Amino acid sequence: MLRYIFRRVLESIPTLLLIVTIAFALLHLAPGGPFSADKAMLPEIQHGIEARYHLDEPLWRQYLRYLGDLAHGDLGPSFQYRNTSVNQIIANGFPVDLTVGLCAIALALLIGIPVGLNAAWHHHSWWDRVPMALAAAGISLPVFVIAPVLVLVFAVHLHWLPAGDWVRGSLSHLLLPVLALALPYIAYVARIVRGSALEVLGTAYIRTARAKGLPAHRILLHHALRPSLAAVVSFLGPTTAGVITISIVVETVFGLPGIGRFFVTGALNRDYTLVLGITILYGALIILFNLLADLCYAWIDPRVRLD
Amino acid sequence: MRLAGASGLLTGFIATLATLATLATLAACSQRTGTAVPPQPAPSITVGTAPAPVQSVARTLDDAPRSLDPQLTTDIPSQRVLDDLFEGLATLSIDGQAVPGAAASWQQSADGLTWVFHLRPAARWSNGAPLTAEDFVYSWRREVDPKTGAGYAQALSPILNALDIALGHKSPESLGVEATDAHTLTVHLNAPTPYLLELLVQNYLYPVYRPAIERYGDDWVRPEHLVSNGAFTLQEDLIGARITLRPNPYYWDAAHVQLKSVVYFNMPDRAQAVLRFLAGDVQFTDSFAASQRPWLKSVLGEQVVNAPWLGIYMLAFNFKMPPFRDNPALRRALILAVDRAALTRYLKYDMYVPADTLMPPLTGYRPQHPAWATLARSDREALARRLYAEAGYSPKHPLRVDISTSVQGADERHYFEAVAAMWHSVLGAEVSVDESEYKVMSQNRELHRLPLFLDSWIGDFADPVNFLQLFYGDSSLNYGGYRNAGYDALLDRAAQEPDNTARYRLLEQAEALLNEDGVYIPLYYYSTRHLVKPYIQGWHSNLMDRNLSRYMYVLEHQGN
Repeated sequence: MLRYIFRRVLESIPTLLLIVTIAFALLHLAPGGPFSADKAMLPEIQHGIEARYHLDEPLWRQYLRYLGDLAHGDLGPSFQYRNTSVNQIIANGFPVDLTVGLCAIALALLIGIPVGLNAAWHHHSWWDRVPMALAAAGISLPVFVIAPVLVLVFAVHLHWLPAGDWVRGSLSHLLLPVLALALPYIAYVARIVRGSALEVLGTAYIRTARAKGLPAHRILLHHALRPSLAAVVSFLGPTTAGVITISIVVETVFGLPGIGRFFVTGALNRDYTLVLGITILYGALIILFNLLADLCYAWIDPRVRLD
Repeated sequence: MRLAGASGLLTGFIATLATLATLATLAACSQRTGTAVPPQPAPSITVGTAPAPVQSVARTLDDAPRSLDPQLTTDIPSQRVLDDLFEGLATLSIDGQAVPGAAASWQQSADGLTWVFHLRPAARWSNGAPLTAEDFVYSWRREVDPKTGAGYAQALSPILNALDIALGHKSPESLGVEATDAHTLTVHLNAPTPYLLELLVQNYLYPVYRPAIERYGDDWVRPEHLVSNGAFTLQEDLIGARITLRPNPYYWDAAHVQLKSVVYFNMPDRAQAVLRFLAGDVQFTDSFAASQRPWLKSVLGEQVVNAPWLGIYMLAFNFKMPPFRDNPALRRALILAVDRAALTRYLKYDMYVPADTLMPPLTGYRPQHPAWATLARSDREALARRLYAEAGYSPKHPLRVDISTSVQGADERHYFEAVAAMWHSVLGAEVSVDESEYKVMSQNRELHRLPLFLDSWIGDFADPVNFLQLFYGDSSLNYGGYRNAGYDALLDRAAQEPDNTARYRLLEQAEALLNEDGVYIPLYYYSTRHLVKPYIQGWHSNLMDRNLSRYMYVLEHQGN
């Protein structure tokens, strides 16, 4: 097991390197530079600033310099936010994304799994149809619709919850963004669990359990749950990384200090180091959560061997 | 400063999705109020006359400040926060006028080339250290020192040797500024600069605290290190989200600062700023979309504040390439064939004022309305058609050109599509709108690759020269590459003219030349666009759209 993890971590290094290289090339290919500013600068001044950030060097040297710094864990200075390093931006913002993202995934599992199981057990009944219709709606409603509507209802009209902002440790500030982010995933999880539970419930060993007269909750929790989760786990790997990273809209609507917004503004402002830093982080996250998913998968399904 | 830049890009991009959704929800209300259902009453807020027990204001910024280092930034969000944190020799009054700040008084020599500033003996840094003339010498040298990498160092060019230092030809020590004693600063200028005081209220001329910079380097702007000399100090800076300020106990006028806390929220999504205002989380927003104005007016009434702002929105011609280079008749035809009033009314919901000159009215300067401004619309269009034919175009050989703009969202695109449609219906020209990413557009613009492009300008200070420099031959802001020796000579003469009235007459002549040559297409003058709760007092709309929190206070109120 440890050997497997070690091997996977080693394998991820060339993958990340490839990501860095492609991102580096794409960024430098894009027209415009970080210091082609709103107020056109005197060319001499612009060259001076570019020299400060080594942007006047040949690309290959900039690339090697970046890799060298990266090896020391230094993601460089942000070009767009002078006085701020990419490390600082990530250290400030990423815990917020992680909190909101993991809470949203937890909420999706907590609600989605029971609803899915219940729907499968009560196949073709209202317990199945109503939640699944809602789930279809949840999947179709994009977060940029859900989020402002939640704000309108719960903050502007009812005044129950804050409309945005981030206060560390405050549950009330966390609730709406987590809900907005989780809703579609609750729906996904419910539908996936229902699908695989239906399959599991049709197998011979469940039929035997039923024939033995086991109560429903025992069959569902002890026999059907674990195999039904396999599909959820393989869905969760890439999804968790995605939930943590692609919450740009949620960040914007709720004014959260996450890094998603920096990713977008960084790209638009040609903030090479900022975009590269966040790209590496996102790449590492996807690799990490895929690894975790594979480990969980082996735990759930004994037939899976990791070596 | 150029607006419509990368600062608004997030709004124009990802956040637009959220904006659209919010707008869709809000627009539903808006349409209703427009037709059958009567306008909803303004949220019930009753305001008393006594100060509120809690003196705090939450404001919004349209983007995250690029830096809280006064010398390194020129963006509006940074300026808003820096105006509260720092104070120059002069500062802004509640009406946006330059008034004594860190300096209590000043004199200028008869030739206008030397200014002597007397600092307030009571002026202190937020750690209690005295603010001295040496601090200004250090800060201004830092601004022009190429090592600092200040993007707008050229703005100091009226000061002796500033430009040469910025270009690396002279050492920062040669800057024409000296501390005669601890509280006296002498400034030597290249030429009389009647607008020097207006320059002193720009954030890049604010003083910075040398010991903090030398000790902490780039980190000196973090809340634990930042030492400022303005009415407030930095309490918290949640990068990209929120900046909290608290009063500076050492500020020379601290007795009159009433707010105990000022919070700036970064809200690139303007619809979100509206929601947060409605929810009562913020009391002073920075901007809202023109398309939301009718609905906001019906719901919020007087809380919607629009007032003249020192800025112009225009299209500019490229003088370095066809079809506009050698074709004044064509340029004039396009200028004439735009119905600004209709555009402003139907696409900007009367938020802005149609423009026919380069700048909104300035005290003492006579607006240079072009001859066509007094023509009736039909006459103007008839003249435009004649000029279009004269320029060599006809329905069979129509003008084909793109309006190049940056991606700013559907509202802006529709605006330019309407301009193109007017040219089509009046002249038969085939014009389309070409939107590109801001960085791409601005690069192409600087390289003179675009024949007809969006150009907008928010004045740094209320002096015509700040607008007229946009068309000065050698200016790096002269994207159209317009070059007229007569025009440049007038600006040069104005720069040497010590008498302000005489200087304005020269600048008026220069602007008249722009009108004769048909150099740009004026569209509208900017307006400020704030939402402000009625219980926030101590601020006035002003041409600079700079409202220092220092003067603000909160009245007792019920409801929010």
